[in-house]
Amino acid sequence: MTRFQTSWRESLAITVCAVILGFSYTFVQEKGLFAGPASARTASGQVSAAPQIIEIQEALNLYQSGNAVFVDARHEFDYKLGHIKGAVSLPLAEFAAKSEIVSSLPRNRPIVTYCDGAECSSSVELATLLMESGFTSVKVFFAGWNEWRNQGLPTAVKE
Amino acid sequence: MERMAESRAPHGGERIMLKRFLANEFNILTARVFLGSLLLIASIDKIADPLAFARSIEDYQILSGPVVMVIATVLPWIELICGMAMVFGLLIPGAALLSGALLFVFTLAVLSALFRGLDISCGCFSQDPAAARIGWAKVGENVILTAVSAYLYFSPGIRFSLEHYLTNREKNP
Repeated sequence: MTRFQTSWRESLAITVCAVILGFSYTFVQEKGLFAGPASARTASGQVSAAPQIIEIQEALNLYQSGNAVFVDARHEFDYKLGHIKGAVSLPLAEFAAKSEIVSSLPRNRPIVTYCDGAECSSSVELATLLMESGFTSVKVFFAGWNEWRNQGLPTAVKE
Repeated sequence: MERMAESRAPHGGERIMLKRFLANEFNILTARVFLGSLLLIASIDKIADPLAFARSIEDYQILSGPVVMVIATVLPWIELICGMAMVFGLLIPGAALLSGALLFVFTLAVLSALFRGLDISCGCFSQDPAAARIGWAKVGENVILTAVSAYLYFSPGIRFSLEHYLTNREKNP
């Protein structure tokens, strides 16, 4: 038997074992595919709903209501160059380091996260982290900074 | 015998040295433990939270739907078994072929994400969304690990391995 045939068979055996173990483990532990359909379980076992994605009109309504807090998930450098007026900077990469910002966010008001736009996911990831930290009303303005700026809505440079 | 013949060859000294370096049992062992440990470490977070891993896969915007969940369920276990196989020295060519193929696909995925300008976390070792973002360093890292897999696939040495121990026991019970 050639080296390739041997290794191909071994690879297949490893994959079959992985399929059996993967499905058995997730089934027994009720994780992943076998987790409850309506809820997403986090690593710590807490159950949390997914953050709600909102379009620009709803983001603008929330902005104009003056009740929502906008949180900028981009790097601080981008925030300094320009951001939604009144938004708080909380770069995703510094979430753990900037716990004082997280604790200063109001828990009784809607929070709207955003990043550049459709090409980034940090707004969704930040929203998920905030929900895991106990914030209940977190929304993601997915079209983000690019859409806000293109619409000529209120912006500011480093405040 | 082969080594003796090589040492007598008057030319191609560098090539022979490289060949010897690659065939050195200790180097093969180092490569095995290095790649095996990395695969083991990479699998832990993914096995613990398949949903977070599925989210990391979706961030690449290449796959979507149930196929992502199937990959998130199976792939970490392939990494775990390949890692264990390499560390203990069993099914080395198979584990090396599989890990090489996976790392090659991961490299293509990271490259494609970089070219599309996606600002996402790798999802390689940690499923924490705040973990390091993908970049050219990650591509380099993956290319090196693919090369190590190829090295292990083509290297003939199985000394210091469970396979070697078991084969010897069969020969000399």
